[in-house]
Amino acid sequence: MASVARTYGRRDTILLAACVVLSLIALFLPERMRDPLATSLRRTILAPLVSLQSDAELSRRAWATREERVAARDSIALRAISVDALEAENSRLRNLLTLGARLRWGFVPAEVLSGRGVGEQYTVPLSAGSRSGVREFSPVVAPEGLVGVVKTADPTMSIAIIWSHPDFRVSAMAADGSAFGIVAAHLGDGPERYLLEMRGVPVRGTIAPGTEIVTSGLGGTFPRGIPIGIVMGEAQTSELWARTYLLRPAVLPSAISAVMVLTPARADSGVAGVWQTGQGMNGATRAIVEAGDSLGRAAALRLGAMAADSLARLRPAVDTTDSLGARPGADTLR
Amino acid sequence: MRPIDLARTLIAFVVLVLLHFTLRPLLGWRVGPDFLIIALLLVAIRIRPGAAAVLGLFMGVVADSIELHAFGAGALAMCCVGFAASWLKAVFFADDMFLNAFFFFSGKWAFDTIFILAEHRVGGVELLRELLVWSPITAVVTALWGLLTLLILRPILRPSHT
Repeated sequence: MASVARTYGRRDTILLAACVVLSLIALFLPERMRDPLATSLRRTILAPLVSLQSDAELSRRAWATREERVAARDSIALRAISVDALEAENSRLRNLLTLGARLRWGFVPAEVLSGRGVGEQYTVPLSAGSRSGVREFSPVVAPEGLVGVVKTADPTMSIAIIWSHPDFRVSAMAADGSAFGIVAAHLGDGPERYLLEMRGVPVRGTIAPGTEIVTSGLGGTFPRGIPIGIVMGEAQTSELWARTYLLRPAVLPSAISAVMVLTPARADSGVAGVWQTGQGMNGATRAIVEAGDSLGRAAALRLGAMAADSLARLRPAVDTTDSLGARPGADTLR
Repeated sequence: MRPIDLARTLIAFVVLVLLHFTLRPLLGWRVGPDFLIIALLLVAIRIRPGAAAVLGLFMGVVADSIELHAFGAGALAMCCVGFAASWLKAVFFADDMFLNAFFFFSGKWAFDTIFILAEHRVGGVELLRELLVWSPITAVVTALWGLLTLLILRPILRPSHT
């Protein structure tokens, strides 16, 4: 440091006194006079310095919060991952509401309670029981179609078997009424385990891939017209007098979360018009059809357009057949 | 003071003022260094006591314009510290690190003491805590940074002999 000695004169004393007086004046200055002075200083001399200070503060804050920002970014990324699942659930709940509106009466909404999650699940506990109107053999449905049937109904909960259960059976027909059969779980290996098969279709009753299969209403357990699945193709079996078709189920096991249990009265009165069966094909069917040749695609589209009318036309014929006892007659539970 | 020395001192002063508004908030310490005091002391020892008091008054008023509740208190403290530093420099002839550190420490502590008393906001135990705990700690930090500044700015602050 510079070592410059200097004397201390009267002028310095006067300046010091003046400065002290001015400081005291500033200290006791009324607010209305102090504020304009301070404002003018801030807007002139201090403005660039305050700007620098502001930038420095921001930099320090950015540095100090870098870990929080990384954590926040990770959280957002995590949430973004779950958005798809939430959207799917939202869509499914909307569909369920729509189904409820179409059913209007005779149904009990129920949540599928999570089980042990070990091994393959063929039965699911439902949150509604006999107090809510659930009875044994009540059909369990979802917006996409048939889920299963109630096996036991306790007062506050019930147990349903879903279509993948080895004992599950339902009388079914093509949506256009061209063929009838019994649908059961396809007891294959691997992914095929989660397919359905439609057995007992007469040899003359050929069903094209992409045809929608619905409940036939025969047997009394399931009302007519609940979607079961889509025909994927014919399965090779040793049976000579009947055909067996593989179906892609309308309701995937992973999508079973909220369901509707139809009351016996509702099952008896039918669900006509609730599912728009035969009026079109879903995306998966279209994918199957589009994968085929152009001829098959045209045929499938024609089939889809004609399905609703065909179903309506053939309904009397089915009733006649039923009365003659010529069709397999019951939804069975072995 | 020779013009070249005046220019060098001015550069050092500007650098320290800039550091006060950039490095200090960047550090964000509860007891950060007061570069304005360091700048005032560095200039005050090179000018007459009266001029140091005027400089202190000016710096204090400008700094106080941010803190309206203490408007005038900083000016009073800085003009007193500036004057005293310029006057007492006659005592501190030696170019000794320890003495310089003590010089910065005393200047900062004196400033805080005058400021807090003039501000007249705290009292009792809080006042004692400010004067006897926080102010000395801040003064120590300021003294250390003052020494560091001296080491860095030594080429600039060295008086010319030509």
